[in-house]
Amino acid sequence: MSPWIIAGFVGAGLVGLGLYALVVNAQPLRKLLAFNLIGSGVFLVFGIVARRGAVGPFPFDPVPQAMVITGIVVAFAASALAVALMLRFAEETGRVTLDPDVWTKPKPDDGAEDQ
Amino acid sequence: MTALGSFLLAASLAVPAAFFAACFFPRRRDAALAWQWVAPVPALLAALAALAAGPFDLEAPALKLSLRLDLPAALLLLVSALLWIAAGAGAFVDRAERPERRAAVSWLLTMIGSLGVFVADDLVSFYLFYALVSIPAYGMFAFDPSPETQRAGRIYLAFALLGEAFLLFAFAMLAVGEPHGSLRIPDVVAALRGSPWRDAALALLVAGFGAKMGLVPLNGWMPLSYVATPVPAAAVLGGAGVKAGVIGLIRFLPLGIPLAGSGEALAFIGFATAFYGVVVGVTQQNAKAVLAYSSVSQMGVIAAALGMALAAGDPDAPALVAFYAANHVLVKGALFLAIGAFAARSARPAAWTPLAVALALSLAGLPFTGGALAKAVTKPLFGYGFAAVLASASSAGSAMLMLHFVSRLPSLRRSDATASPEPLVRFWPAAAAGALVVPYVLLPFVGSFEDAFALSKLWDGLWPIAVGALLVVWLARAAHRLPRIPAGDTIVFGEKAFNRTMSSGSLFDRIDAAFGRWPAAGLALLAIVLALAYATAGAG
Amino acid sequence: MTPAETTTAGGALLVLAILLPAAGILASFALGGRNAEKIALGSAPLALLIALAILAEVWRSGRPIVYAIAGLSPPLGIALRADGISAAMLVTTALIIPAAGLYARAGFATPPEKRESRKALTFWIMLQAISAALAIVFVSGDLFNLYVALELLTFAAVPLACVEGRAETYAAALRYLLFALFGSIFYLLGCALLYGAFGTLDIALLAERMRPLPAVTAAAALMTAGLLAKTALFPLHIWLPPAHANAPAPASAVLSGLVVKGSFFLTVRLWFYVLPALPAAGFDAILGALGSAAVVFGSVLALRQARLKLLIAYSTIAQIGYLFLIFPLASGLHPWTVDGWNGGMMQVLAHAFAKAAMFLAAGLLYESLGHDKIAKFSGAARAMPMTFLTLGLGGLSLMGLPPSGGFAAKWLLLRASVASGQWFWALVLLAGGLLAAGYVYRILAPALSSHPVVLKAPPRRAGEAIALTLALVAVALGFAPESFFQLIAIGRPGLATAGLP
Repeated sequence: MSPWIIAGFVGAGLVGLGLYALVVNAQPLRKLLAFNLIGSGVFLVFGIVARRGAVGPFPFDPVPQAMVITGIVVAFAASALAVALMLRFAEETGRVTLDPDVWTKPKPDDGAEDQ
Repeated sequence: MTALGSFLLAASLAVPAAFFAACFFPRRRDAALAWQWVAPVPALLAALAALAAGPFDLEAPALKLSLRLDLPAALLLLVSALLWIAAGAGAFVDRAERPERRAAVSWLLTMIGSLGVFVADDLVSFYLFYALVSIPAYGMFAFDPSPETQRAGRIYLAFALLGEAFLLFAFAMLAVGEPHGSLRIPDVVAALRGSPWRDAALALLVAGFGAKMGLVPLNGWMPLSYVATPVPAAAVLGGAGVKAGVIGLIRFLPLGIPLAGSGEALAFIGFATAFYGVVVGVTQQNAKAVLAYSSVSQMGVIAAALGMALAAGDPDAPALVAFYAANHVLVKGALFLAIGAFAARSARPAAWTPLAVALALSLAGLPFTGGALAKAVTKPLFGYGFAAVLASASSAGSAMLMLHFVSRLPSLRRSDATASPEPLVRFWPAAAAGALVVPYVLLPFVGSFEDAFALSKLWDGLWPIAVGALLVVWLARAAHRLPRIPAGDTIVFGEKAFNRTMSSGSLFDRIDAAFGRWPAAGLALLAIVLALAYATAGAG
Repeated sequence: MTPAETTTAGGALLVLAILLPAAGILASFALGGRNAEKIALGSAPLALLIALAILAEVWRSGRPIVYAIAGLSPPLGIALRADGISAAMLVTTALIIPAAGLYARAGFATPPEKRESRKALTFWIMLQAISAALAIVFVSGDLFNLYVALELLTFAAVPLACVEGRAETYAAALRYLLFALFGSIFYLLGCALLYGAFGTLDIALLAERMRPLPAVTAAAALMTAGLLAKTALFPLHIWLPPAHANAPAPASAVLSGLVVKGSFFLTVRLWFYVLPALPAAGFDAILGALGSAAVVFGSVLALRQARLKLLIAYSTIAQIGYLFLIFPLASGLHPWTVDGWNGGMMQVLAHAFAKAAMFLAAGLLYESLGHDKIAKFSGAARAMPMTFLTLGLGGLSLMGLPPSGGFAAKWLLLRASVASGQWFWALVLLAGGLLAAGYVYRILAPALSSHPVVLKAPPRRAGEAIALTLALVAVALGFAPESFFQLIAIGRPGLATAGLP
């Protein structure tokens, strides 16, 4: 079994784990971790793509690697923004959840307060 | 002459539009409202010019408008412009009694639509004017807070929008069926005959225009609307507004080559409506509701005439039916004004009643009235068979209904619903006389006096009146045994069904809440990925 | 294989279109305070000029304009491309963003006693960021570049949704962000698979090399689903109503009018430009069905909302549904796809202007009445005629009544559905129009009554004028000349063979 096949399985596993967490839990922090897990899996896939696309003297295709680096920066920024939002949310309400029953949509008759 | 005609045609829409625009400038507003009865004058002149030397065409590609003023359009445009001028002058000249500005805006928009729909020559222009004559008229209900008016307005709007939806669907079929991409109405109608969607398109057209004309079962909004709107508004809506449906059928039915089946079906709907209007109308006590049911019945007669013409392939039908409809514009407008006149304190019932009777029986074809001319002109469309008998029977029904209406006039009292501005009361006899005379001016363009005054025609006109008079005597005796059908009849069932549908809306709230939970949202995302993958791979 | 693409005349304009707002963001950060507002508004006319210049150049040359970054042609370099729809969307953005900005001057001015306020600075920077991100979305010729642009768009939109800083706006923004992140990671995974299969992510090159491989199927499904989540297509819409309804009015206008169109635009790019070679009948049916469900579902829920802004937000969900009818009605090489394409694109523009106008009007109502509860609008139209005129004209376009852009869109889509024999979509279009009439009626009817109202403050004249102008543009789109449709056909693949009807 060649290394990139193993990498492929690991990537698929990470994506699968992330998807599972995407479905089951309403905790935003776990959602964020799930997003990062899927992201890691995707970056592994990019790595395999880079290895398979090797041409000429290079052992790797440099384009996917550039994409992975960009992708990591983007994912980092996304995580930072999400964490910042969660912290502010927690400051305001004392808890953080995505369960709509807890924070609820604005009720029909509290329009005057929630603009 | 053609250049002048095109200029007048442009002015007949541009001038009302300019008045409408002036309403948005506070300093021009008062003058615009006081003089808005002038706005239909160019349309009147254009119609006269077209009768003398028409038809005229006009293209305005930048506005996506193309217009054509031919004989049927000229007949209807002429009388509608007269009605708009008369009702507008009465309603707006006197500052004290003027409707408020917002109602005036809706008045002007409806006027533009009402005049434009007669002369529109392509699908998109027609749809635009049709929407203008239908939707803004809601403004004539909107500002009155009484629940009955609000209900009538809601129902009016619902039917208007439903009709628009039917028409838009039909127009899409017409446009697609035309092989060269033309949107002109004669082109798309010519192509309709061979179109695979012919029957569907015809059914949708009849449903759409039928909703405007009050053909059964889409008649329920009409009595409610006329009862709820002020007298001048009811006059223009009931006289001119409804004719948008008539010109629609005239324009869009593929008349000229026999089309059996569809023609008979339309004639059946028409006759059914004609008798239904009479039967329900005579149970009504409100004079405006009686007039509304008379409109329903008359529109049924028009639909029946067009149905027979469609079945027989009669190419003359458009002008003949337009003449019949033109007479109805004048008479119905004057009759609505009669309600305001008789209810006013300054009413002179003794002097006015003969005029009212003549006007009312014009709709039943009383000899020497415009109605008699209209009946004589459209008689060939019904032929000499069963349809002719039905047409005469419907005249007898109309006579009964209209005598019933006249019997309601003395008991009218001034109220919000029957209030009419003072000028409309004072000049009512002139308006009524005009309604009786103008058809004589128009007759030479569609028929001849020799035909209309043949002895046999006199007899044809008289016996339905006599039967109707007998029936109304019976009606007076049997009145207490008749059921009290609420104005709007079947609309009650429609409202119930609508409310039941509305109450199922909470189901949607629950679905929304369900998808709001994370597991459901996440699963939905995954399910969509899988479904898309399956669909894309499965096809390959 | 076609020769490598090089920069065409006017190509530098594309770089300018991106650089101008990007430079504005940097300058706003550097100078801070009141300057952010000045920079955001001051650069707007320039952005509009650039957008118009791009449009003029596309129109003049009759083909897409291209800029190969650093002179390297794809696959080695990255290309920027602007075709007819890019130009139209750039101009739309350059009109709506400044409109929202001018409207927001009242609410997002830096307070006089402070040198800088977080709320104001965030708003003005994020407004420019949205305009930069949208510019990249509209002119990018590379799928990975588009990924970055989409993320930028999200990062700019989320702070705008919660710039007011109340608890429920954070909840809505967090939900929005997480949904968008999952959407974009799906999209990125698809990119990896496509690159693995073809060795490039350049749109034009991919379209040439496209073959129906299993990896392509998976990539197409993942990328599309990710984009649907970002576009809030039913049933992935749940983040939209709270995010759009709780944001301040000018932000809602931009979010509803423009931001959701960014990911829709990308979906169109993907399916009409990259993957037209794929057999897509089933795919089109799914998107059409989801769109139809969105139309019905969004409209019914809009009918049931008690608050105006939530009603308008649910109406956005319904109107997004119409957009997806473009997939069954404009894909393939049939003559009727011309109508389907034109109708879909007209709907994008008409909804952008109409919805932006309506959100701004809703904001004015809130300021003057102190609430946006529909049941308490009685008589408000007499006190604020301009605002209700705006709502009415916007509603006219949403209902698809003439004359309006919404009508033009509905008419074209109807024609396409009749011509293609796909009756079902026609019924959806008509039912959607009736339901829209229902919710517009709900807003307007009580307001028209002569009930007395007391305003907390008279409506801002400038705000009313801006909202009304946007609504009038939505109406004027109904008079779009034939040349507009020729413009949006420039660069569309497959059109030359489809021919005109």
